[in-house]
Amino acid sequence: MDVLVELAQISKSYEEKAAVRDLSLRIEAGSMFGLLGPNGAGKTSTIRMIVGITLPDAGKVTLFNKPWASASLQRVGYLPEERGLYKKMKIADQLVFLGELRGLGAAEAGRRAHAWCERLQIAEALSKRTEELSKGMQQKIQFIATLLHDPQLIIMDEPFSGLDPVNTLLLQDTLLDLKKQGNAILFSTHRMDQVEKLCDSICLINRGEAVLSGGMRDIKSRYERNHVVVQYEGSDGFLSHPAIAEYKNYAGQAEIRLKPHADAQDLLRTAAATAAIMKFELVEPSLEEIFIETVGGRTDA
Amino acid sequence: MLRNTLLIAKREYLERVRSKMFRFTTILVPIGAAGLAVIGGIGGKKMEAGVQNLAIVSDNPVLAQDVKAALEKAEIPPKTVEVIAPAAPADISQLNQRVAAHQIGGYLVVNEAPGQVTPDAAWISGSATDFIGKAEMETAVSNGLVREQLLARGMTDSQVQALMKDVKLKTRQVKHGAVVDEDTSRSFAGAYALIFVLYGAVLIYGINIARSVVEEKTSRIFEVLLSSATADELMLGKLLGVGATGLTQMGIWAALLVLYAGSSIAAAQGVHGLTSLGVTRAELIFFAVFFIGGFYLYSGLAAALGSSVNGEQEVQQFSLILISPLVASVVLFPYVLGNPASTASVILSLLPPFTPIIMYMRICAQMPPAWQIALSVVLLFASVLAMVWLAARIYRVGVLMYGKRATLPEMIRWLRYS
Repeated sequence: MDVLVELAQISKSYEEKAAVRDLSLRIEAGSMFGLLGPNGAGKTSTIRMIVGITLPDAGKVTLFNKPWASASLQRVGYLPEERGLYKKMKIADQLVFLGELRGLGAAEAGRRAHAWCERLQIAEALSKRTEELSKGMQQKIQFIATLLHDPQLIIMDEPFSGLDPVNTLLLQDTLLDLKKQGNAILFSTHRMDQVEKLCDSICLINRGEAVLSGGMRDIKSRYERNHVVVQYEGSDGFLSHPAIAEYKNYAGQAEIRLKPHADAQDLLRTAAATAAIMKFELVEPSLEEIFIETVGGRTDA
Repeated sequence: MLRNTLLIAKREYLERVRSKMFRFTTILVPIGAAGLAVIGGIGGKKMEAGVQNLAIVSDNPVLAQDVKAALEKAEIPPKTVEVIAPAAPADISQLNQRVAAHQIGGYLVVNEAPGQVTPDAAWISGSATDFIGKAEMETAVSNGLVREQLLARGMTDSQVQALMKDVKLKTRQVKHGAVVDEDTSRSFAGAYALIFVLYGAVLIYGINIARSVVEEKTSRIFEVLLSSATADELMLGKLLGVGATGLTQMGIWAALLVLYAGSSIAAAQGVHGLTSLGVTRAELIFFAVFFIGGFYLYSGLAAALGSSVNGEQEVQQFSLILISPLVASVVLFPYVLGNPASTASVILSLLPPFTPIIMYMRICAQMPPAWQIALSVVLLFASVLAMVWLAARIYRVGVLMYGKRATLPEMIRWLRYS
């Protein structure tokens, strides 16, 4: 597999504060990579070093198998977390301008801008000015601006923040299509639950350091399926079973974490004896739970 | 490098030139200026007119005639001067009626008092505040009196005239080694014009650059831009684009001015082409060079200031810092005019923020050595690039820090981070 991004032990500090410490990661072509962590963990700082907005104090950034060079950015699409558009400029003109800045001809940029706006169902925005658009529409235009030059590497910092569920889904599907075409996508988010099913690989960072990284399936398989969701009617007496480490009991539904190597089948038998069981599911831990388990609740957020 | 810079310059230029505001000001400013000129012309004529019709009342007919003659020789002579000498009380009351009826502006009473050297003189008019022409009347009365006294002492009329001739001071100037007639007010009109135009351009267009930088910071588009172009490209493009907008607008106005200067309207007002305004071709070229250099230097400074602030309002506060070297140049004006070749003047004219005005002033006053002019121009344009570099650094680091205004030590530290 082609490695599009390789970070080798990069570090960056501002004033006295270390934003990123000894971080290493690899992103392969045709994959979706999630950079996850709480607010202030160093996600944006890491991304900025990949796109050369800041330079690392130490370590090496390699893009497309070459040491970092600004020429490589023509093949990168970057959507920053703090993003905007020119308020008074017509959307069509802005997209052409941004496309041209990334090496497209004016006519080609215009053609692609139209095609993308059709695809994301906002063709009517093209003749408007930014200030006339809703926040969600502006987000879509920014999304298009990032993809206009057909970048092999797409980097998006918190791309779904502030989007409604319908548009979030639309953009997620678009990213999945791009991944299928062989592009690599790196995105960051602090909403780990939102992206579990999207990512092929992840890097969990906390306080500037990678606490967990690798393929999603690898990571998940390293953790036991020690979570149980039970839907029941009747007595909740089974919740005192010795296999249970911790539980949350909602109306008719209990979320249970088992003790290590506990016998889930025995719990099911006990529960079935005292209550009517509608559902008994042994689930793998969520990323969020893995994260909390790994860092032990020590986050800055 | 060049492609991105030009793309950014093109965007800045087209967005601005297409805007309603640009069309509006381009048309409105010349109309406003013409309107002011017309109003000023009308007002000026009224003021110059002063008192148009007046009468002189005196016991002494000879003195009255002398005063009349002196008044008629004044710079702005009255239309009619009646002489009533000697005057009966009935004449006075009739004059009072005519003043009340606005038939005459007023009347001058000049009576020689026995035993006194100076006569009693009074101006009686419709309004007490109507003092325009008072100085002229005083001069006329004293001139008439002197004439009358000299004639009374046996001088002939021509002797008196020869004695009372006004002295006109001619000013001449050494230019290119030869003494030439020179009107002082005209020689420095160019320097004044440069100060005025540069000042206006910096305040209007320089601030525009700062605004445009701040807009990109507040709309947060600059992080998007920085991932496709370098900060240097962005800043240079912005400077060229916004600068070109200003130059376009001022170019349109200048073209209108040239058209006006060559037109028959101007000819009727005594202006025949720009050269009649005292501008030589060499001065025009130097004017353009120093104006453009100064304009871009101050615009670069505005961009740097804009990069270090977070909001529109803060830009306004910075405009004072922006123009302070210009104000300093104006304060230094008299000194440099008086000592155009002194060491201090030479050094000042080589310091880029002062170069445009001080060096141009020196050129107007006394042509400096060519190497000094060349050096000042090179330094000026080099400092424009240095300013772009500095602005780009501050802009780039501004991505990382926002929310509060940077202090100077912070800005210096920013330069290290990027």
